[in-house]
Amino acid sequence: MHEHDLDLIAALADGSLADEAEARALVDACDVCRAEYRSQADVLAWIASAPRAEMTEPEKAALHRDLWTELRRDPARTASVPWWQRWSYVAAGLFVVVGLAGVLNGVIGSGESGGPTAESPVDLDLADRGDEAAPFLAEDNGSDGAGESAATTTAAAEQAVSVPFPELADQVRASRETDPGTGTTSPDATVTECLERVGLDDHIVVAELELDREYLAVMARDEAEGTVTFVAPDECEIAFVDR
Amino acid sequence: MTLPGNEAELLTRVVSGDRAAFDAVMRTHEDRVFSVCLRILGDRERALDATQDTFLTVFRKAGQFQARSALGTWIYRIAVNTCYDHIRRSQRRPTQPLPDHVDPADPSAEEAIDSAALRPEIEAALAEIPADFRDAVILSDLEGLTMPEVAEVLGVPIGTVKSRVFRGRRLLAGQLGNQYDP
Repeated sequence: MHEHDLDLIAALADGSLADEAEARALVDACDVCRAEYRSQADVLAWIASAPRAEMTEPEKAALHRDLWTELRRDPARTASVPWWQRWSYVAAGLFVVVGLAGVLNGVIGSGESGGPTAESPVDLDLADRGDEAAPFLAEDNGSDGAGESAATTTAAAEQAVSVPFPELADQVRASRETDPGTGTTSPDATVTECLERVGLDDHIVVAELELDREYLAVMARDEAEGTVTFVAPDECEIAFVDR
Repeated sequence: MTLPGNEAELLTRVVSGDRAAFDAVMRTHEDRVFSVCLRILGDRERALDATQDTFLTVFRKAGQFQARSALGTWIYRIAVNTCYDHIRRSQRRPTQPLPDHVDPADPSAEEAIDSAALRPEIEAALAEIPADFRDAVILSDLEGLTMPEVAEVLGVPIGTVKSRVFRGRRLLAGQLGNQYDP
């Protein structure tokens, strides 16, 4: 049976043909085609008899309750990888301190030390991660330490700094050497898809950084001392590779 | 593509942090998201987890939605990818599709599970066919998405979707037939 014939027969079975004449002629004239039609129609009948999968009302209530609890607790990340969140705040805090001290201009941000963005100042915006859910966070002001921390660093975040990828890569490697278990496949499907798209699907995310934009530090699954690649997941592009 | 006025307005409100707007988006799409997740993952508890993860992602990425597809299509794409991610993390798909216990505080759950169990053979047959074919059949034939919508959700050309759906049905027929062969 030709590909075109199968398409016609399957479309006849599911009722999506505007003009069924050609398909019906095919089924009438050919035993194999008739068997194929019967097979497709039988499956569709089976499927039509399957009950629709639905959540119960208590399950829906729990879904909404748990989701808002999660968003209030951590508006930017899921709870399944708490180390990500810890790492990003540690790294972000480090850069705020370095930025305030003016060290980045003299040491880290020199043209010789960095990659393609080393000479292009970028804004360090640490408050970003909380902004998207700010109205919800306001519901329990005072209980979200991370939110408060981000808010108090807003002024510092407005300072222009360079992104010191090489230094950051060293810290990522050090972290991985100290704790070989560090790193995970992403719980975020969009990130997973992005890593696949840039050819890093065999990599794991070792750290996440919120700087001028979001970066993921990824390494090959079994390497603790190898190349660190920084990926900007929102744009799905490789920002820097430190070998 | 232009979003329907109410969808565009809802999304604007979601991005600005309107909880009621996001609840409305969830109410519109949560049943189908759960259904897709349940069919793909084959396990109610995991499907509930994946549904929650899907909407967490939807909320967090709402500002990035560019209306190149319908809102529902975008959400179902996130749902499918979230399910893939759950599968990757667990490294295996369970062969037992239904939970072995029911929360006694939730009598309607038992009813829902009884209902789903009316066609366990379909769930079992779906579990036996390759994921690419299975997901195309789930979205097209079980969830009723159009071929262009399925193509958008899966990120493949329409011709590929048709091929996967048609061949998926054929494989499913073989599996269902095998279950009743003497």
